[in-house]
Amino acid sequence: MKGTSMTGKTDEAGVADVAEVNGAPGGTKRSRPTRTYWRAGFLRGGIELRHLLRNPKELSGHLTNVVVALLVAVYINDDVPGTQTPMSHLVIAGFAAYLLFQVGLISLPQILVTEREEGALLRLRATPGGIPAYLIAKCLLVVVTAVGSLALLLAATALVADGPLPRGPGDWLTLAWVTTLGLLAVVPLGAAIGAVLPNPREALALIMLPTMGLLVTSGAVFPITVLPVPVQQVASVFPLKWMAQGLRSALLPDSAQAAEPAGSWELPMVALVLTAWAVIGFLLAIPLLRRAARRESGSRMSARLRKAEQGGAKAS
Amino acid sequence: MTTPRPTPVRPAPPGATALPVIRARGVTMAYGDVDVLHGIDLDIHQGEVFALLGPNGAGKTTTVEILEGFRQRSSGEVSVLGADPERGDDAWRGRIGLVLQSWRDHRRWRVAELLTHFATYYPDPRDPAGLLDLVGLTGQAGQQVDRLSGGQRRRLDVALGIVGRPELLFLDEPTTGFDPEARHEFHLLVERLAREEGVTVLLTTHDLVEAERLADRIAMLVGGRIRACGTPAELARRAAAQAEVRWTADDGTAHRERTEDPSRLVWELHQDATGPIAGLEVRRPTLEDTYLHMVHREDDGADEAVEGEAQAV
Repeated sequence: MKGTSMTGKTDEAGVADVAEVNGAPGGTKRSRPTRTYWRAGFLRGGIELRHLLRNPKELSGHLTNVVVALLVAVYINDDVPGTQTPMSHLVIAGFAAYLLFQVGLISLPQILVTEREEGALLRLRATPGGIPAYLIAKCLLVVVTAVGSLALLLAATALVADGPLPRGPGDWLTLAWVTTLGLLAVVPLGAAIGAVLPNPREALALIMLPTMGLLVTSGAVFPITVLPVPVQQVASVFPLKWMAQGLRSALLPDSAQAAEPAGSWELPMVALVLTAWAVIGFLLAIPLLRRAARRESGSRMSARLRKAEQGGAKAS
Repeated sequence: MTTPRPTPVRPAPPGATALPVIRARGVTMAYGDVDVLHGIDLDIHQGEVFALLGPNGAGKTTTVEILEGFRQRSSGEVSVLGADPERGDDAWRGRIGLVLQSWRDHRRWRVAELLTHFATYYPDPRDPAGLLDLVGLTGQAGQQVDRLSGGQRRRLDVALGIVGRPELLFLDEPTTGFDPEARHEFHLLVERLAREEGVTVLLTTHDLVEAERLADRIAMLVGGRIRACGTPAELARRAAAQAEVRWTADDGTAHRERTEDPSRLVWELHQDATGPIAGLEVRRPTLEDTYLHMVHREDDGADEAVEGEAQAV
């Protein structure tokens, strides 16, 4: 399953961290089993999910994509040029990809930066097994949020606006692996970004612009072939283009391949690019998260708080 | 306030007397070219409430963060609960409690939910309900952390700090924003932890009254060095500050005189007087006098006048 593979990777990071300190001399004998991290992590993830569901403001943020996709599906009537496929289906697949992209690269970094600023990361650092549990909980939260809103988007558009759904087990399988690999490509990367961004206010500004740019240039909301070739080439470096393409292959009929730049779904390339981003993400996230946790201390937190308060005073 | 404390009633743990909970030798810290700590020596024993005082920028925070394992020292030796804080593992972390002043985390959690969750990380946690009662938050158990008042929030931080039954508790300006009653309750709680459970407490504060009230021993950190260390009474005596005697003479004029020996002055006054002396008042040097004296001596650059006080052992 998606969740297992993702959190499994993260736990390796956590365990490596623990082994590192345990190996050092001078520690005490009692060692806590890894099971405790998982238990605390799942408890924590469950509680955070409950908080998310109880918070209308934050929930509506995640539902915006679903609503926009619904509106688009209802109002767009023409077909993808050169095919019999409704344009709305292409846009819905694009929004589905953007939704995963957004959870990993906008929501997650924001959560990480905010919680670091408020001191949650420091408190967990000061708690035995706190950091592994934190990472497990965050993975759980992100995976459930992403998969939940994806399912909601597909179900809602299918019900209300005759939206696309996978046809047959092959398409469902494609949907599953593209979703999994897509999350693996963006979640560690998002964690790495969250570990280095300065504070929640600047973080939003820094992430929003590039992601919006990618939304437009990745062929998520209209066929990428409309764009100049250099723009297509730049967008092809980033995961969103491939996530959208992979999801189109799962949701759209094969006849729609005619509108793809290569005339085919290029699934091996989808897998390759997303895997490459997943590897890059993990290679960046593990040291950066470790560094972020290591640098947390009371004085840093106070300094940030003072800065935030001054910034707030200036703004008001 | 400066009367000598009775000898501690806590028995020294057998065999553990030799090893202090916190032991630091020659700890230095430099950020680039700037030396922040110039060789700190500290011994803090089990069950002791130890206060670290000093002006802003004296190195208090740096010292505490080195002991907490959150900062790497430049040189020197540190042992906290038998381990080097830079290499402390999870089990070591579990024996330490932390209460910081600027925590605003977990705002969406409910009070009891948060405390119960943090109890799961520890092998032998305190009962969350009993702990809420102890810090006076039973009425807020179901409330969102966001909605707590400043003082309530800090008390929740205290509860979170001790939920794992720490052997060593770091308190950073713990009563900032407390009303007098909450402060009093908090002091009783800290005393109870130290006296009854043998928890070692390292307190950093700007509140000299609080330090005097709570601490068995106080160290004054000025300019990256420990300038003085001892019981509050010892510190007050050690500072060269003189006592002040005030009285009203028969003709109604107010007098005040500074003296090394207030007892003698009062005795002489009585010998000259024909009856009770109106408005007689003897003001002993307080911790505040000592503190200001230490800080000013640093300002004057008279570093060399430290007569063996820099050894906080």
